[in-house]
This record gives sequence, C-alpha cells and structure tokens, in this order.
Amino acid sequence: MNRKTKKTVYKAVKETIFYLFVTGLIGAMLLPVYFIISLSFLSTREAYRYPLPLVPALQTKFEMTHGERGYLLSVYDRVEKDYQTVLDTSELEKMEVYIKSQLGTSISQEEIQAEMDRLDDSGEDSIFFTKPRNLLYNYDTFFKVTRDAVPALIRSLEIAALTILISITIGGLAGYAFARYIFKGKDALKFSVLFVRMFPGVAIALPMVIILAKANLYDEPLGLSLIYSVGAIGLTIWITASIFMGIPESLEQAAQVFGATKFQAFMRITFPLALPGLAASAMYTFLGAWNETVGAIILTQFKPTFSVVVYQTLLGASGQVNLAAAGGIAMALPAVFFTFFIRRYINQMWGGVTV
Amino acid sequence: MATLEILNVTKRFGRKVIAVDDISLEVHDQEFLVLLGPSGCGKTTTMRMVAGLEEVTEGTILIDGVDVTDLPPRKRNISMVFQNYAIWPHMTVFENIAYALRLKHMAKSEIDRIVREVAGMTNIGEYLERLPAQLSGGQQQRVAVARAIAVSPKVFLMDEPLSNLDAKLRVSMRTELKAIHASAKATTVFVTHDQSEAMSIADRIVIMRDGKIIQTGTPEEVYEKSANLFVADFIGTPPTNFFDVTLQKSNGTLHLVNPHFDLSLDAANTARLNGYNKEQLVLGVRPENIVLTSEKDSIMGMTALVVEPQGSHQVIAFKMDEKMVKVVAPSQPKPDMGSTIHLNFSQGTLRFFDPETTFAIGD
Repeated sequence: MNRKTKKTVYKAVKETIFYLFVTGLIGAMLLPVYFIISLSFLSTREAYRYPLPLVPALQTKFEMTHGERGYLLSVYDRVEKDYQTVLDTSELEKMEVYIKSQLGTSISQEEIQAEMDRLDDSGEDSIFFTKPRNLLYNYDTFFKVTRDAVPALIRSLEIAALTILISITIGGLAGYAFARYIFKGKDALKFSVLFVRMFPGVAIALPMVIILAKANLYDEPLGLSLIYSVGAIGLTIWITASIFMGIPESLEQAAQVFGATKFQAFMRITFPLALPGLAASAMYTFLGAWNETVGAIILTQFKPTFSVVVYQTLLGASGQVNLAAAGGIAMALPAVFFTFFIRRYINQMWGGVTV
Repeated sequence: MATLEILNVTKRFGRKVIAVDDISLEVHDQEFLVLLGPSGCGKTTTMRMVAGLEEVTEGTILIDGVDVTDLPPRKRNISMVFQNYAIWPHMTVFENIAYALRLKHMAKSEIDRIVREVAGMTNIGEYLERLPAQLSGGQQQRVAVARAIAVSPKVFLMDEPLSNLDAKLRVSMRTELKAIHASAKATTVFVTHDQSEAMSIADRIVIMRDGKIIQTGTPEEVYEKSANLFVADFIGTPPTNFFDVTLQKSNGTLHLVNPHFDLSLDAANTARLNGYNKEQLVLGVRPENIVLTSEKDSIMGMTALVVEPQGSHQVIAFKMDEKMVKVVAPSQPKPDMGSTIHLNFSQGTLRFFDPETTFAIGD
C-alpha cells in the first residue's frame, strides 16, 4: 500500500466512524419518540405484548370456532405468528366491547352475528375474517374516557398564553431597561432575577399553595400562570436584554430626531426589530408552561392542566400504557406546532441581516 | 433656514466628568460649520445636546432665536445623520425617508414627491424599494442623508457621517455632501476628527479640545494663523514643524538661535516680536515653508533621511535633535537619501508660540 491509499483508507474509516456515531446519536434521540408514537397507535392487547410490535397493525385477523360457552374467538398474534384464543362467549355485546377496547377494531354487533351465522351455515370447524383497525381508537378513548381531557387542554393553552403575556410584558420591559439604562446595582439585579430559577418548584410549592389560596387563585389558571411567570420572567429578561442590546440605540434616537415620541420610536423601530427575539423568548416560556407538571399537580385540584391529566392517565386505575401514550402525543403536538411556527418567525430576519 | 446659537453650554456626566465646558458659538444661516477635535474632546456631545439627545447641564441653545434647551428632539426642527447611519433595517429606503414626513401628517402625494426629489438629489432613486441590507455602505450613507434633508430642517446635524466609509469613497462623499449642502442650503453642523475632511468641507471650523473651544475660523485661518501649538500640530498633514529657539538681539535685528541654525528675522517679523520679552520661543514652520536652497542662501545643512516622492510634490524628512522634521518641496530637484540638503525658512509665514502658555505670539 502506498501512502495515498493509506490516507484514503484512513479517511474512509474515520468518516464511517463519524457517521456511525452521528447516526447512533440521532437514533438515541429519535427512538423514544418513535416508540411513543407507535405505542399510541397500538391496541391494548398488543401494547402489553412482549416484544412490543414496532409498527401498529392496520387490520385485525380473526378466527372463529365453536367454543364451550358459545363462539370461540381467536386473534392472530404477530409476536407468536399464530392465532390465540381470546374469548369464549355467545353474547354479542361482550364480544363487541372486547374487540373494540382490547383490539382497537371497529365492528358492529350485526357484523359479529353475520360471522357467527356464516360459521354455523358453513358446517366447517372454523372461519377466518379480517377487520380494519381503528388507528385513532386510543386518541378517541383518551379524550372521551379521560375525565376533563378537553377542558384541561383548553386550560393549559390559556395558562401558557397568560404566562407568555405576563412574562413578555414584564420581562421584556425589564430587559429593555437593562439594555438601555445605567443604574445602581444593575448587575446584581440582573443576576438576582435568575435566583428564583435556582429553587425547585416542589421545594416552594407549599408556601405557593398558601399564597395562592389567600389570593383566591388556588386551582385557577391565572394563579398557575403567575407562578410560571416568576421563573419565565427571569429567562425573558436575559434573552430580551441581549436582543435589545443588539439593536443600536441610535435607531431609536434617529426616530426621535425625525419626529417620533420615545414611545412611538420604541413601537415603530425597536419593537419590530426585537420581534424575532421576543418570539424565541415566548417559545421558551410556552414550552415551560405547557410541559410543567409537578407544580400543576400540587397547585390544582378540580381544574387540572393537560399535563396533569396525562400524568393521571398513566398512573390511574384505568391506566393503559397506550392511552397514556396517546395523551402524551396529544400533549406534545401543540408544543411541536408552536415551536415550528415560532421558528419560522425567528428565522425571518429583515432582508437577511441581523441588526 | 436658521441660525443656531449655543450660549455658555456645559455638560457634566456624573459629578466629575466634564464633557463640554462652558462653550459658546454661533452658526450662521446656511453656514457649514465643522466641529473638529480629537476623540473625547466633547464635539459629539455638543452636537447631541443640540439634537436634544443629551440633556444640557448648564446653558442655553437657541435655534432661530427660540430657546430649545428643554425641548424633546422632535420639537426642535432639526435632522441628523448618525455615525452608523441609523437607517431602519426593517423599512425600505422609501419608508425610511417617508417616516418623518408621515409623522408630520403630510398628504400621500406630497410625501411621494418629496421622497423622489431627495432621492434624486442623493442618487438613490433606483433603490427606493430595497431594504437597507441590500445596499452598500455608500448607498446607506446616501439614504441617511436623503432622510435628513427630506424634512427640510432648520439645522442639519452630521455626526462623523463619513467615518465608516473606505478612504476613496470618503473623499468622493465629502464632495457630494458639500454639493448637497449648496443646493439644500441648510445650516449645517458637521462633527469630525479628521482634519483634512474638516479643511475641505467647512465654511468655518471650530476646534475643540477637552471640552473647550480652542479656535474658530475659516479653514485658511486655522491653518495659517493657528491659535496655539495644539492647533498648529493638529491641522495639516504633515503637521507644523516646531523648533525650540532662543531669542537674541544683535545690530538691531532679532535672531532665532538653535544649535542647528541661526535665523535672522526680517523687519516685519522683528516687529511682530516687539512686545515679547521672554528668551525662549517655539518657532512653527509649515512643511511647505521650509525651502530647499543653495548652500549660500541656507541657514542649515541637514542629512535627508527619507525622500517620499508624491508626484506633484515630494516629502523630505530629516532628523533634528531626535525630532523628525518634514519638508514639502516641489518634486524637482530630488535629493538623494542620505545626502546633505540646504534649507531656509520662508520668512512671511513663520509662526511664533510662547512655550509656557502655548499660545501664538505676534498676530
């Protein structure tokens, strides 16, 4: 081997290792996401199988024979690659409910009756039939069965919006002050706003409950958003302060020279230029408020947030792992949409230039 | 158009820092006045006080006889070109120019007319729909100027508007600004630290240092009749050459004596120094006033250390007592480096300074 081939081989090996590493890293991040998505589409029966099927089945295959108590229903099991008996009954309703809830498959009592008749008429030992899966069954059930899912979703959106409103208003103005003015104790103050983030929510939850109860805000969306704002304001101040620092003061001063009041100059010049930064900050705030669970568990009672509902589904007596997965996905979707929506905004810089 | 008066204005930052120290000056109608000085001399602060962007600690500012000292910027009827242009990046060129007019509630057609007029004046007519980021530095500068003249201000302020441009563009923009001023006829205050820029553009120059006005005058005045050592050194490239000399009297004529030369002054210069009774003096000679001459007519012979041909002229440097002395001479004859050159001073242009007070004597 001459030196050139040696070099080429070395390079190829190096790159292979690099891409393997990157792929592994991406896999490690994406696998759990894929897992929960796939789980949210599995039927209850399949969700508790081991090993877990990686892809939800699109249809369910049945075998029906005569059983001791009536009709014996078997279902094709993708893990065992064989039909397994699941039910022995002559009650149509029992069979319908089982197929729906355990197998996530839509079938009407008439259809079941028709299959039973077919078995009786054919004179054979068994018949086979296939029904399409209702892939959204878990989602449907989650929102139908879980107490309060829809109101909780709306409540969560309300809380996130309120938190953004409060923290952007207060934090944005404070950030502007930190960026533009020199005053005594500025650095200490700017550092101290991060102080509140040092304390875990759980640690100060009890006093929070008492304070909120006294303010008549316990178990109210406004109360929760106030609590969330405390932490969010600190982060907002830091983000917006650096954004405002990046916008030259002379842009505002020029507006003032050319006839604008200070307020007009801010609204027409600085605010639109700071929007991408404010959007980024709003995104962090949204994600924080939307995902927060521990505080919400403690600080709500009859008006839980969506994250609490998902949590309860996971733990509750009716808890089914596939239902919880559906709830989790339902909870992640708004956050994902919001992030992508905002991201487009953050990237939209003026004429391709950052100020 | 208008006059601008600055009366006994002082600006203090905190208790200790005095940025502008009790200055007074008047800018005449349609005049192009340049505030010139090294950085930190208070020229920009002075301008920002006129604009209303800095509070005045003490004193009064009058525009057209109206006291504007405590008015916000928007009520002063001024406009300004900022050092970094400060054109708004999220607005098109048209919007940048039109914004101030909109705030004045002008009719749409009127705004359109004015914007196109000033855009024509500043040669940016074809870029009106672009965003500033799509323009070059020189074009952005024109937008800033166009925006400033669109509002027909009483006073037009420019804060080092050329300092962000490259050298070549700076010189051509200089000429253009002067032309725009001539057609817009606005009373203008222009801040710069570049003395050659000030010389070429100003009707009158105000030289500032440490918050005080050192000298006010036309470019010729500050060049030829520099008020003190600082001005003589600051104005002109290469700067004035200074020689420490002793004053001696013999046979009724005055001699300026230095280990290297003995200059006998003519009658006019002798008369200028009549009232001066100290022995020591600083002689200031502009580089072009040191002349190469024959050995017979010279007062000193020095070794030419560096000869820099410039085409139209040449710069010859020699060393005297560890100090570089520069001579600007016609391009011919050209002495060799290291050869001896014979020099004399042209008597009509000598400047005398008191070494203690640093002020000029005998004007």
